[in-house]
Amino acid sequence: MTWKRVCSAGDVEPGRLAAFVVDGITVIVANLGDNGFSVFPPSCPHMEEPLDQSGMCAGFILTCSKHLHQWDMRTGEPAGPAENDRELLRYESRVEDGDLLASIDGELVYEYEDDEDDDFEW
Amino acid sequence: MKVTVRTRTSSHEIDCAPRERILYAALRAGVGVPHECATGSCGTCKARARPGTVEDVWPRAPGHAYLKRERGEFLMCQGVALGDCEILVPSRLDAGSATAPGPRHVAGTLSAIRALTHDVDAFSLELDRRFTFTAGQFVVLAAPGIAGYRAYSMVNEAAETSRLDFVIKRKAGGGFSDWLGADRAGSTLDVFGPLGKATWLPEERKDLLCIAGGSGIAGMMSILTHALSSGHFERHRGDVFFGVRTRNDMFLADELARLVEAAEGRLSVTVAYSEEPVMDRDPRIPRCIDVSHGFVHLVAGERMAGAGGDPTAFVAGPPPMVDGALRMLVMEARLPASDIRYDKFT
Repeated sequence: MTWKRVCSAGDVEPGRLAAFVVDGITVIVANLGDNGFSVFPPSCPHMEEPLDQSGMCAGFILTCSKHLHQWDMRTGEPAGPAENDRELLRYESRVEDGDLLASIDGELVYEYEDDEDDDFEW
Repeated sequence: MKVTVRTRTSSHEIDCAPRERILYAALRAGVGVPHECATGSCGTCKARARPGTVEDVWPRAPGHAYLKRERGEFLMCQGVALGDCEILVPSRLDAGSATAPGPRHVAGTLSAIRALTHDVDAFSLELDRRFTFTAGQFVVLAAPGIAGYRAYSMVNEAAETSRLDFVIKRKAGGGFSDWLGADRAGSTLDVFGPLGKATWLPEERKDLLCIAGGSGIAGMMSILTHALSSGHFERHRGDVFFGVRTRNDMFLADELARLVEAAEGRLSVTVAYSEEPVMDRDPRIPRCIDVSHGFVHLVAGERMAGAGGDPTAFVAGPPPMVDGALRMLVMEARLPASDIRYDKFT
């Protein structure tokens, strides 16, 4: 497990999210206020919408403005009625000496519905 | 032509008419393939085809940004089968509704075109048969000699009708709106629909919140008309926020005022001018309509702040306005996603 510095804890205000690049890997940092931070890949699990533009934070719920699919950023679980059963992938994170660190050993990528199933071919 | 629509769990054979969009053929056959705008923008109706079997009729559609072309992905709303073929649809199908009528093609004759502002027209189509739709839905229209379909929400509301009313914003270089600008009454258009899930039914016992930009007001008019005729405002409120650029861009003011008066205090309408401060009272705007300055979603956010309630919210208009309104509703008003319905018009 490799802990890497993503940003200062003060770089993202509570209720906001922002994209950062850590060793060439783009991640989204969301400040959940009392629930700490959540660090996750930059594309919506549903249709690859860029979450730094389309992601909306309300408490610990992430909503993508493309189709209003929702996830609980604390756990990655789908939330709300419009979700599919796909989880939000997350990097483990913690705050140390005012820095937000994330465990980034490699890029977390979604196997989108059109790629994941070898049987679903001609 | 026979097109076999394969999903992970099922297979459906549909008939496509010559040059018919595969999306429309699937939907009218009752195969609920994923879709939203039906006009090439959103990317939701992507599917895969073998090389050379499906023609892409609009290679520059904005929705192509969502496709992996090297995998044979195409937009079903812009895809025409070149012969019998098979396509793969990656997403789940919509179960659809047993009671809601499925979309189909009907012929519509252009019956009336009148200017509402310097760049907004109203027009109507007389259909060759009866047509049923739910308040808030849209159809796609194709005019003779003009490439492609455009989406328009119905302004009127009726359980069953042979007439559809629309508003259209004229755009420079907008093929359909340029075409409509000339004297086209009597022309016959291909109408496909009804489509769209930003709908409202009287069974929903909640207040209504409508945030519209420009011609996005169309579907709201249908919803408000239906709410009024079904007695919804006897028990529930409605709040409408309608954004236009300046006072000279305002339209449907008298129609909105009639709804406000008929709802007897349970319906408010606020017009927001985004590019002009509110000076003196414009005599063209009935006094029962409030007038404000600012972007419509911000005006709505200010008025709704602290108002409480848990309305069903409808949002329609240009994409930046829709995104701003969704942000306000999700992040500030904290409405559940299930209570927010929207259309993005491009």
